[in-house]
Amino acid sequence: MRAVFLDWPGLALKSFYWLFVLYLFLPLSLMVAVSFKDASFISFPLGNLTIDWYAKVIQDKQFLDACLYTIMIAAATTAIATVIGVWIAMLIGSLRGAAQYVAFAVACLPAVVPGMISAISLRIFITTIDLPTGTAAIILGHVVHAVPFVVVMVLTRLRSMPGNLVDAARDLGADSIVTFFRVTLPYLGPAIFGGMIFCLLLSSDDFVRTFFLGGYRPTLPMLIFARVQSGMSPEINVMATLVLVVTAVVGLYAEYLTRRSRIR
Amino acid sequence: MAVGTSTADGGIPAYAAQMKYSTGIARVIHSPAYRYTLGAVAEWRYGRILLLAGVPVVWMLMMHIGPIYEMLRISLLSSYPPEPGVEANFTLDNYALFFSEKLYWMPLLRSFVYASIATAVTLIVVYPVAYYVAKVVSPGGRSRALLLLLAPFWAGEIIRIFSVIMLLANRGAVNVLLREIGLTDRPIQMLYTSFSISFGLVYMVCLYMLLPLYSAIEKIPKSLLDASADLGAGPFTRFRRIVLPLSRDGIVSGCSLVFLTCMGVFAAPILLGGPTTSMFSETISSFFHGASSRWPAGAAFAMIMLAASLVTVGLFMRVVGGSKQRTF
Amino acid sequence: MEPVVQFENVRKSFGSFVAVDNLNLNIERGKFVTLLGPSGCGKSTTLRMLGGFETPTSGRILLSGRDVTQVPPNRRNVNIVFQEYALFPHMTVAKNIAFGLELKGVDNRQIQKRVSELLELVQLQEFASRLPSELSGGQRQRVALMRALAPDPDVLLLDEPLSALDAKLRQTMQVELKAIQEQTGKTFMFVTHDQEEALTMSDTIVVMNNGRIEQMGDPATLYNRPGSAFVATFLGETNLLRSDVVGTEAGEAAVRWNGVTIKTSAGALSPKPGDAIYVVLRPEAIQCSAHEPSVANRVQGRIRQRVFKGNHTSLKVEIGDGHLLNALVHPSEVEGLSRDDIWVGWPSEATTLIPSRNAAS
Repeated sequence: MRAVFLDWPGLALKSFYWLFVLYLFLPLSLMVAVSFKDASFISFPLGNLTIDWYAKVIQDKQFLDACLYTIMIAAATTAIATVIGVWIAMLIGSLRGAAQYVAFAVACLPAVVPGMISAISLRIFITTIDLPTGTAAIILGHVVHAVPFVVVMVLTRLRSMPGNLVDAARDLGADSIVTFFRVTLPYLGPAIFGGMIFCLLLSSDDFVRTFFLGGYRPTLPMLIFARVQSGMSPEINVMATLVLVVTAVVGLYAEYLTRRSRIR
Repeated sequence: MAVGTSTADGGIPAYAAQMKYSTGIARVIHSPAYRYTLGAVAEWRYGRILLLAGVPVVWMLMMHIGPIYEMLRISLLSSYPPEPGVEANFTLDNYALFFSEKLYWMPLLRSFVYASIATAVTLIVVYPVAYYVAKVVSPGGRSRALLLLLAPFWAGEIIRIFSVIMLLANRGAVNVLLREIGLTDRPIQMLYTSFSISFGLVYMVCLYMLLPLYSAIEKIPKSLLDASADLGAGPFTRFRRIVLPLSRDGIVSGCSLVFLTCMGVFAAPILLGGPTTSMFSETISSFFHGASSRWPAGAAFAMIMLAASLVTVGLFMRVVGGSKQRTF
Repeated sequence: MEPVVQFENVRKSFGSFVAVDNLNLNIERGKFVTLLGPSGCGKSTTLRMLGGFETPTSGRILLSGRDVTQVPPNRRNVNIVFQEYALFPHMTVAKNIAFGLELKGVDNRQIQKRVSELLELVQLQEFASRLPSELSGGQRQRVALMRALAPDPDVLLLDEPLSALDAKLRQTMQVELKAIQEQTGKTFMFVTHDQEEALTMSDTIVVMNNGRIEQMGDPATLYNRPGSAFVATFLGETNLLRSDVVGTEAGEAAVRWNGVTIKTSAGALSPKPGDAIYVVLRPEAIQCSAHEPSVANRVQGRIRQRVFKGNHTSLKVEIGDGHLLNALVHPSEVEGLSRDDIWVGWPSEATTLIPSRNAAS
């Protein structure tokens, strides 16, 4: 905090902020830059540039398969985690006092437990329930991890909902099911949307759970991890760059949509 | 929206005749198929409770508590998987194993030290940034300033670790730059050292510090800062007496989150660390690679790690957090 | 004619707190009935019980002769205009109004017709496709009212609907509400803590306190002949004079207050000499003059405070040693009056007697 000793603390803070932004972006930019390097090893300076690596990667069957697999798992995770997360949030929202506190703590547990332990405990657990490692196990692991985030986001929105909206719907002849689908759910819409995007990103980025729960078919993070371990080449940079671009586009688009809905 | 006949027939003005209403819902809820099934459940008090609580309670008990419980149970077994005829006894041997060898407890200590260092560094680095975005940036520009910080995190754990390699490798950007300037003639070994691990950890987790700090600092009313300035407090006093105490909640939750995440990292030490920097996650994972007979020990180690991290965070919350009242 | 709403010995307690105690109330069809009382008096609980959101601990509630005590809100033919409107933020005005009709199974054409009628009633036709967030407070209020009216309820319940509006708009809405009630002929049950709202709109006012009905009647009766000190002080400004009965004679009573003898009409009470009693004297019944007036009660005093309020002047007049009377007089009446020596007076019919055991508050 030496910034505040200066004459213009604001200016110092501002430069610090931009330095931090630089720190965040520098490694990623370097990574993108190397993806264009015309050599089969990673080093600086870059030298000649090429897009051959891109051509190679988009014909790489293993990469394409991993993309598809990752998307499939992320989609399934999002669908299930959203339903369960909203459901849990509705329950917590209707509880009072100590019960609410306990339910909230239990709901958040998987987000608080360190990732490694969560992965190990799930690995043991799927053996107990006789679920083989593979797609179903990965999805289960990702859902468990994603649910708390959906709960928190939906609950935040739920708490801002005027209590008498539900009463008004009941008063006008809706039973609790109709009320949920016609009033509560649309009200929660933006939060659910945000939660879904978050689920997509969480699932497609997850490494440690996938590592312990997965079978032989790799997801993208698994594939990149394996390639990094077995020897590096700009090919990995290309894959990472493509993932980076896609997640950035998804993230920015989601941000744009939520901001627009907030203004309305 | 379907546009109906725009002539005002039947006394309905044109604007109203264009509206379309959801009459289908009524058909559903008045149909016997609904009334005697879901509808009946929704009308019945205990039915409503069942609808609301059934799935969440089962899910949370099974999926949130179940795995931890199962891990605890197995960590206390003398043999696993259970064999027919052989009764597994409850034992604490698996826990005793941890303390028996330096090979086992040293990595936990190492994890602990790395996590603490990363937490402290992250707090010091991120606090000014969070403060800047929350209090210096105009409200209109805040979400954009925040977005710039969020965006790099969408890339995910592995990619971010990989990008750190670009920076720190022997022929990575930093070394090449140093050589170009003429500061060094031989590359400095940065990758596969404790430096690269710490650097990578901070790079991975700073978001978890940023968000809680930001939301805590943002809640501090500007009028408090103005009032204290009016009463003669300089920038440093304002920060120490007003901002710091009022953002304590954010500091506590940010540090807890970062610490817990660092304790649980798995990929970063493998990719960025060397043989002398092996962390406890790797130790645990080694028990799960082969046959499942070594699982009880692994489970016990995981329990030890869970207990150690939660106790640390709990103590930290006690000491720094002061009041127990936390809002969520 | 059968009352549209009947409360029979209704009691509602939350734990040890009794919100509504032994309530018996019949509401006639087509009337504008107001439940009036301070917060926590049980008026909102009464309304929520009729709406179906609370179940009475004991007793029965009948709606158009049917026992609805245990019927859930979605199966009762009553609708509520909620505090803060409770409009569905994601639906247009028209969709909000149509919500109840859609659920009733009314067909599209009928809904279109009904919605347009209702929008016309409050002149919001152009706003049909707007979202509630795009409306002003008064417009939201009207939409909330129309939404509750749309399904044609037996009774329309209004839960302090004007409390979110500013003072000027509140007065406009009072008039409009009353007009709509008369136009539609609906039974309105209005809950408020604002006595002015109650007096302006109601056919019948039910004053509640501590979970019980204090008094019930038309506004004029309640104002002029309050049955208890609570009603007297809650409805309008008043002078409540603690007195002792000194004599009675043919429907009249003489009481002594602060050394002054006051002649009053005994009303329904038959006070005996020696009884402690309260005399209710409305400030506007008091006349002020420089000379002794020729009314039944007159007394000399000093003006302690004079506040000009435009169409009237508010006075605090000290009688004897330190006892103050509030008076509202026409500004011209007090022009040129000396502050230290004036007469105040009032006719004996202007006062009401209240037994002092009810006057504990």
